[in-house]
Amino acid sequence: MNSIPVVELHDVSKIYPMPAGDVHALNHVNFSIQKGEFVAIMGPSGSGKSTLMNMIGCLDVPTSGEIKINGKSTSEMTDDELTLHRRETIGFIFQKFNLISLLTAYENVEYPLILKHGHKDDTTRTRDLLRMVGLTDGQMQHTPYELSGGQQQRVSIARALANDPTFLLCDEPTGNLDSKMSMQIMEILTDLHAQGRTVVMVTHDPKTAEYAERIVIIKDGEIVNE
Amino acid sequence: MSEEKKSIWQKIYSPMILSLAIRNLKLNKFRTILSMIGIVIGVFAICGMGMISAGFTEEMNSMISDTADTLTISPVGEKVIDGTTTTGFSAKDLRDIESAVKSVTKEYEFIPMYSSTKYIYIGKETTMASVSGMDANDLEKIATLIQGTLPRGSTNVVVGETFAEDNDLRIGSRMIMLNSGGQEVTSRVVGILEDTGVMTLGFSTSSAVVGSIEWYTGLVGDNHGLYDMVIVKAYDPTELTPIDDAIEKKMNGKEDKDSDDTVFILNSYEIMEIFDEIMSMSSIFTTIISGISLLVAAVAITNVMLMSVKERTREVGILRSIGTYRSQILQMFLYEAGLIGLIGAVAGTLLALTAAPIMLMAMIGSLDAMLSLSVLAYVPIGILIGLIVCLISGLYPAWKAANLNPVEAMSTD
Ligand SMILES: Nc1ncnc2c1ncn2[C@@H]1O[C@H](COP(=O)(O)OP(=O)(O)OP(=O)(O)O)[C@@H](O)[C@H]1O
Ligand SMILES: [Mg+2]
Repeated sequence: MNSIPVVELHDVSKIYPMPAGDVHALNHVNFSIQKGEFVAIMGPSGSGKSTLMNMIGCLDVPTSGEIKINGKSTSEMTDDELTLHRRETIGFIFQKFNLISLLTAYENVEYPLILKHGHKDDTTRTRDLLRMVGLTDGQMQHTPYELSGGQQQRVSIARALANDPTFLLCDEPTGNLDSKMSMQIMEILTDLHAQGRTVVMVTHDPKTAEYAERIVIIKDGEIVNE
Repeated sequence: MSEEKKSIWQKIYSPMILSLAIRNLKLNKFRTILSMIGIVIGVFAICGMGMISAGFTEEMNSMISDTADTLTISPVGEKVIDGTTTTGFSAKDLRDIESAVKSVTKEYEFIPMYSSTKYIYIGKETTMASVSGMDANDLEKIATLIQGTLPRGSTNVVVGETFAEDNDLRIGSRMIMLNSGGQEVTSRVVGILEDTGVMTLGFSTSSAVVGSIEWYTGLVGDNHGLYDMVIVKAYDPTELTPIDDAIEKKMNGKEDKDSDDTVFILNSYEIMEIFDEIMSMSSIFTTIISGISLLVAAVAITNVMLMSVKERTREVGILRSIGTYRSQILQMFLYEAGLIGLIGAVAGTLLALTAAPIMLMAMIGSLDAMLSLSVLAYVPIGILIGLIVCLISGLYPAWKAANLNPVEAMSTD
């Protein structure tokens, strides 16, 4: 592996100061992801998986240590640069779907496209993405509350793909879905990986983790096993 | 990557972010309307009171401003001449008054005149007019001829514009008055004077019939050569008060007004000043009241916006995480505040546009002032003030939203 990793974490710690004492969510973590990898992160609840994902996705800053994106340290990047990076390169799929309730399914997927291009989607891209994840034209006009959990997760996958990211970050993408639906979502992720995208996925479920080619186990904020 | 260069307009105006703001306002219709009430009332107050006082000032100014450069001096002391009691200025009085004027300035006009009220017969109509006799050259100094010529000789007169219109008089029209002996005297209109308004502080042309001294004495008699009024015009209006004082001192023996005075002086400059003072004090008063109501509105809007930010914290977190800039979040909340401000301010201005004419009609009985620039200026001023107050009120909540930590924001419910 001589190419520059997509993401590198050097000695990264995240401490949440709490009244009852500091919480060490991440403890001197060293970790890197190469382009095109499919990584599964596993570990007990509260072990720091989501915190790690937030660091990888430039959503939060570490208390100490360094994060490099394509070789560039995030501490040298402005908030706008990090925002642009999230918009253009990363597709987030969250455990709680995190759709915008003011917008319809279609508009949720269109939103990143408008952010990027500054105008409404005048192509069929939004519709194509939603069809690809299995939504009907009628469902596209529904707001998130009018959709089932599985449908919402599909919409969030379509949204994550809108700007054609090279890097997918999925925090328990199947956590709220039944096994049949989970399988379907995993099929989609596998396809996306096969197309050359880097995928990092947090999961509790060993069966889901089997889709990945590399499994990382985290405990009490430390990586214990690769 | 694909950051195309954006114009300032594109930076300020984003349809998508505007649409998010509108949707949120619609979602919370009731709260939106409640928060608007404050700004509606505030703008209504500032705009309505502003319009009324501007309209009132406008009306007053149109009535009195032209004549703010004169002193009108009338006799009040009684004189006994040839056994009859009368009032008026003798030749000596006139010399005394003029010397008092001269002691202050050399730049003045001194216009003695005769005046009284008479019945006038025009065709079959009878009307009242204030008739004056003065030197034609003097007339030119205190009134403006808009048609015809100055009155000279014993039959020619000029009349005020309104009087001419009301009585259908034109150049060449004739009118009949009775002289002191009860005989009919016919006068001919040779000119029309520009209207000075009813509430003039100097010489009013409103219902005036003016002729030469020869014409006047032929009609009314000469009252032992006593003049009825003197108008002093100063070319520098600030000299009016010193002149006023000098005349008071000379004629009444002291500068203060008193019951045994021989002259009464109407100082148009002083009245203007008092009037201006009252108007500016009342406008300070209304500004304070409106300011307070706007402040209350601003606090209410800040409060509502903080609530909105709190409710939408999760949404802000999501928007930020999928690549929305801080500046765009700021924009979204400012749009929201701006929309509340714009709609509220337009409503407040419309209310003011309804209420102000009603008030003005009740106060001055005319709506002409409503259409003046100083009154209509309150339409854009009101809208702008409402908008700006709301934007400023929304600034802190918007800034707070823009600086939320995306992860923490997303994990709230
Ligand atoms: N905003 C926060 N403030 C305080 N403590 C936090 C915060 N976010 C996370 N933590 C703590 O940091 C630790 C790691 O949290 P994290 O969410 O990364 O766990 P996780 O592995 O994702 O758990 P789960 O499987 O339940 O999602 C936990 O102890 C958690 O309580
Ligand atoms: Mg988690």
